[in-house]
Amino acid sequence: MGKTALIVDDSPTMRQMVAFTLTNAGFTVVEAEHGKDAVNKVAAGPKMDIVVTDLNMPEMDGIALIKELRKLSAFRFTPILMLTTESAAEKKQAGKEAGATGWIVKPFNPEVLLKTIAKVLPA
Amino acid sequence: MRPYKGGRGGAELQVRRATESCEGSRVSGAMNSSGNHNKKLERPLAGDETTLRALLEHQRAWETFATESLHMIPVLKAQMTAVTQETERAAMELLLHLRMLTSSEGEASSRDDSVNLSKVVMAMQFQDITRQKLEHVGLALDRLKAHLQALLKGPGDEEAKKEIAALELVEQHYTMEEERRLHTAALGPDYGEPVPMDIVSKEPDSVTLF
Repeated sequence: MGKTALIVDDSPTMRQMVAFTLTNAGFTVVEAEHGKDAVNKVAAGPKMDIVVTDLNMPEMDGIALIKELRKLSAFRFTPILMLTTESAAEKKQAGKEAGATGWIVKPFNPEVLLKTIAKVLPA
Repeated sequence: MRPYKGGRGGAELQVRRATESCEGSRVSGAMNSSGNHNKKLERPLAGDETTLRALLEHQRAWETFATESLHMIPVLKAQMTAVTQETERAAMELLLHLRMLTSSEGEASSRDDSVNLSKVVMAMQFQDITRQKLEHVGLALDRLKAHLQALLKGPGDEEAKKEIAALELVEQHYTMEEERRLHTAALGPDYGEPVPMDIVSKEPDSVTLF
């Protein structure tokens, strides 16, 4: 696909598993361990085609990260998927209001994740 | 904070009796003594009453803590048992799918391999889930510790009051429905043994697009 994905999660094993899934599907992957780290990486790094982020993280959580990214013109229309163990409706609503494109509950199925990404990525 | 219900027959009754006894002494002192002597007697008794009330408040705070702890300990135990079960189930799933990947004898299609690989990746995520559950148990233990420290300072202290009230926020740390269900179940009157985990596939509801 030749696309770049930003994976944000404070769990190294989760980042590895999402990275494993996306690199096998042809993505180039950039990893960040929390929201602040992600903001720093996108400021200095390449343009991202998709962001997959956890919700509960130290320093800056997933909702705050989405709000920060949506302020940047480069991320105004970039699909951002939340990947979290949280499934409460009010949290999903908060994600939607912050500007998330979708919400995936962990544990994720790699095939489902790839299908979801394919749905939200612009052709 | 759960309203204090238990223990009134013990400490409170004793303190109340002591307070009444002080009041009784004051009355009898007033009846039997001359003016100056009576005033001298009344001052220390009024101080005793304040001390007894403070002691009663402290006693109630400790008993509330004990009541909270009695509720919290089985919940935390159940959460940890669930973690053990989760780990065991994930390990069994991993073994099963790895066996299927390695013993296909050339008959399995690449589609079957891909499905099994996906299942392995899903099962391996137990580490993230169990880590979070144990972190939440750790947070609850931190709350109990803060509550204990607050009680040692004395329940009248403003900071202590905040710490004591914070114990009820333990449930707010949960991120998984599974944890919330288990918390409620462990608080139920029939709870005795670890609550079994629901083994449900989350796949149908796992994706929400906005």
